[in-house]
Amino acid sequence: MDAAEYLDLLLKALLLAGVYAAMAVGMTVVYGVMKIVNLAHAGFLMLGAYFSFELFNRFHVDPVLGAVTALPVFFLFGMLVHWVLVRWLPKSDTPTLASLLLMFGFWLVLQNLAYAKWGNDDQSIFTPLTLSAVHIGDTISIPKVNLVVFAAAVFCMIVLQIVFHRSWFGRSMRALIQNPYGAQIVGVDDQRTARLTFGLGTAFAGFAGALLGMLYSFSPDFGRPFLLRSFVIIVLGGLESVTGVALGAIVLAILETFSTVIPFPWYHQGWKTYYLPPSYQPVVPFVLLVVVLVIMPKGLAGLFNRKWKTA
Amino acid sequence: MTRPQNLSGWLKLVLPWLLFAALLLLPATGPSDNIIRLLFLTAVWTTTGLGWNLIGGMTGQVSFGFAVFFGLGAYTTALFMQYGHTPYFGFVGAAAAAMVASFFIGLPTFRLRGPYFVIATIGVTEAVRVIMNNLEITGGASGYRITENKPFNPLEHYYTAIAAVALAVLVSTIIANSKFGLALRAIKQDQDAAADLGVNPYTSKLWIHAIAAGLTGIAGGIYARRAAFFYPGDVFAFSTGISILLMPVIGGIGTVWGPVLGGVIFVIVEEQISVKFPNFHLLIYGSLLIIIILLEPDGLLGLLRRLFRLFPHQQAKTRLAGDPG
Amino acid sequence: MKGRLAFVDTYIRRGTILGLALCGMAAFCAGPSPAFAADDTIKIGVVLPTTGSESKPGQYQKEGIELAIKQINDGGGIMVKSKGKKLKIEEVFYDDGTDSKKSASLVERAMSSDGVVAVLGGYSTALGTAESVMADRYKTPWITTGAGATAIFGKGYQYAFGSLSPVALIGTTTGEFLGSLVDQGKLKKGLKVAIVVENTDHGTDYVNGFNEWTSKHKGYFDVVMNEKFELGATDFSSILQRVKGSHADIFLSDAHLPDYITMQRQYLQNGLHHQMISYGARGPEANARQALGAGTDYIFAGIWWSNKLPYPQAKQFATDYKAFTGHDVDSWYAAPAYDGMRIVAQAIEAAGSLDKTAIRDALKKAQLKNSVLPGQVLKFGANGQSEYPFVITQNKPDNKVDIVFPKDAATGEPVAPIPNK
Repeated sequence: MDAAEYLDLLLKALLLAGVYAAMAVGMTVVYGVMKIVNLAHAGFLMLGAYFSFELFNRFHVDPVLGAVTALPVFFLFGMLVHWVLVRWLPKSDTPTLASLLLMFGFWLVLQNLAYAKWGNDDQSIFTPLTLSAVHIGDTISIPKVNLVVFAAAVFCMIVLQIVFHRSWFGRSMRALIQNPYGAQIVGVDDQRTARLTFGLGTAFAGFAGALLGMLYSFSPDFGRPFLLRSFVIIVLGGLESVTGVALGAIVLAILETFSTVIPFPWYHQGWKTYYLPPSYQPVVPFVLLVVVLVIMPKGLAGLFNRKWKTA
Repeated sequence: MTRPQNLSGWLKLVLPWLLFAALLLLPATGPSDNIIRLLFLTAVWTTTGLGWNLIGGMTGQVSFGFAVFFGLGAYTTALFMQYGHTPYFGFVGAAAAAMVASFFIGLPTFRLRGPYFVIATIGVTEAVRVIMNNLEITGGASGYRITENKPFNPLEHYYTAIAAVALAVLVSTIIANSKFGLALRAIKQDQDAAADLGVNPYTSKLWIHAIAAGLTGIAGGIYARRAAFFYPGDVFAFSTGISILLMPVIGGIGTVWGPVLGGVIFVIVEEQISVKFPNFHLLIYGSLLIIIILLEPDGLLGLLRRLFRLFPHQQAKTRLAGDPG
Repeated sequence: MKGRLAFVDTYIRRGTILGLALCGMAAFCAGPSPAFAADDTIKIGVVLPTTGSESKPGQYQKEGIELAIKQINDGGGIMVKSKGKKLKIEEVFYDDGTDSKKSASLVERAMSSDGVVAVLGGYSTALGTAESVMADRYKTPWITTGAGATAIFGKGYQYAFGSLSPVALIGTTTGEFLGSLVDQGKLKKGLKVAIVVENTDHGTDYVNGFNEWTSKHKGYFDVVMNEKFELGATDFSSILQRVKGSHADIFLSDAHLPDYITMQRQYLQNGLHHQMISYGARGPEANARQALGAGTDYIFAGIWWSNKLPYPQAKQFATDYKAFTGHDVDSWYAAPAYDGMRIVAQAIEAAGSLDKTAIRDALKKAQLKNSVLPGQVLKFGANGQSEYPFVITQNKPDNKVDIVFPKDAATGEPVAPIPNK
């Protein structure tokens, strides 16, 4: 493999990282503020994809527009879910079994509802953009969809950063992330902030899901491989930091993409260079997770923890 | 153990033995093959539920990845039988393999706080599944087919399973009533306070994890022997791990008989749903989970206790709410 | 209330609650009724996935079986000599949700307590292998209409049969087809081949079949890459990068439908192009056409059946299927199921009784003479698996599909090499 091919893969990995980040940030926010590990995130991703699919099929709405539309729709949906289900959960400093299982149960329900409505078919969103790519030279080809999706993801992350740092809501969130009790003392309405946060997290999940729906085909079980990736990214990013998530996404995407093309020497009847067989690729996120947990439990952001308390 | 003081106390002591005797004698009444099969499944799954309950319910360390031990138990038993050993030796091997694996998982993850253990366990099953999918020695993705040269004897499998679940209940009861059990509950409520009182949380967690894994491994082996075929996508599936923890949660987390009740419900519901409403089984499980979490976190056993006020709430009973992870 | 009355009252209350709960459980649990040998029907068990990841093919196979049952019952049923009259078939259907544990369990239930005389089912290698265990255990004939891995058969099993030709033959037929293109001059000799298959028995058999052909025909092709990928992977960029790097002329893959769609999409986005391209047994599926449009043109596939087959009974089957289900036959799934049921019915009649061992013996010798499958005859080999030729179909522009191999079944000319857009 020559330099151009490596560059090609690198570019693809970075584009993928953008989407991964958008996908993981929803979960981070919910965890940071409410200490809930949201297993239903996968379900929201899936619904986001189907939402965009329905808009595309029925009203011929461009999928990117569909993704952007998903933001307010899922925001409201998230607040509704919080109001109906999540607010009854007991509050705690650390995630509880109750919250885990509740969100997991809700994910199962979402899956079944999606299955009842759309069946088990693998759906895709096929636009004229889907198969076209930007070609640089002979080796490098960047699919246009990936570029569009990346741009949308980055745009939204920037918006999130602004909200996080420049608004009342963002300040309340940061306060709750730092110290839930202290925040309440200072006057932050934790119920309201929690509801808005959950809405925000769900909005991002729906948005990311719609974007992912442009890249991959989806079925009601969609979400599950991304759930593990989200975990890895959040752990890498330090569980309470948004910029950390971006960093984590980049690390994961690059590692995943390059894991099967980096030659490494291995002794088997003599020294040979070996490539990791592609069938082992799904193990990579997990190995990364364990390594991070063991070596730096506070994640990448933990390395800078003294200066960066939040985001 | 002190003499029971009242009727409730006597019932608590005698009922389990009556149940055990009834299960042992059941085949004499000539039940259908189907009942034996269902009871077998109940016993196997209840064993896994009881195992999970030891670490997840009593000690508060929620693991989504118990399928690893189930699958490892299955593969170990299969390998032992392949090399000509009796299946019972295989079950012992299964327990041992699962215990060793539990150390590998627990050593790095139990040092950490918060949700890390949970997250790590979600990934473990996936990773093991992919690795086993690629390991040619154990059949890879095609799975493992066990061939026994003896004719199929459903009663032998049945009694093995009953023995396993009895063992699990015995182990759970002993632990629950011992000082070790108190230490575990202390860890569940507040790990730092427990450490202050002289409990070593790290080693306690490792040990109970091993026992839990061992029981689950045995169940995996027993299951594998009867099913005679399994593959990584089945025994190491995420959904298997979820099924294992569903039982104690539904039945009554942290108690000894909760997982038993949960196991019975689980198998019956699985069977009936598969037959009557196959399109809705995820919906039913999900809703059941949601209802239980929101309305009765102590599971069905808690519900029954509230209805009956049969057994007084013990000091050590803890609720799901607000427990440190 | 106090005193002794209270005590009694509490226990009455508890007893009533307990009693009601037990009644409720019992009602819910009303399990299968004991196996009365129903005198007026023949029970056939069908265990297929209609939910879960393999629900689409499972659904199609169920439809194929039910079409056959309907046609048989419309003719009065199967003539059972020992009963002296024609008996209708009663289908006992269970959905296994693409879960192999459930699949085995439900087959056990059908065989032991539902009193079926035969079971059809087991779509996919995993479900098929799990179910196959039960056949010999309960001495009931079992026919898989959806599992083609050779590992399921042989090993001395006496009651397992399969109406799917072995997957390895797909690889061999692919080799034959490509070889024929070389002989015709459409492709040059000695082309390089990159093979990337799913990490399952299906994938392995496919590769073995192809390698078997190339080893017998040296010089035709040179396999430069042979890798497996994990089912359900979402990103194939690195594998496709390696395919590019191998400078192969022909790209062969074997995958499930979602992986086929994702890989082909990324293949096209990366600007890859080969002289011939195949995804094993996948190609003409409607979902793929929908997802990729013209991106699926010229992909060829080796499949067990096609509605383009020129046999009159195949065309009749396609028409009947459409009338029965309301939609067209999608790819090959329904056909082996349809013929699987028909050959079982034929065997029951030949056996002259509902004795399961007699039916098994009849199945061993059975030959379904107007089979819709390629070759027009369905029969089981010594190990229980049937073997009949595959057809190669190639997707043509405007959503058309042609059979391009073997010559006597062809409806169109193969396009090779594939035009570069």
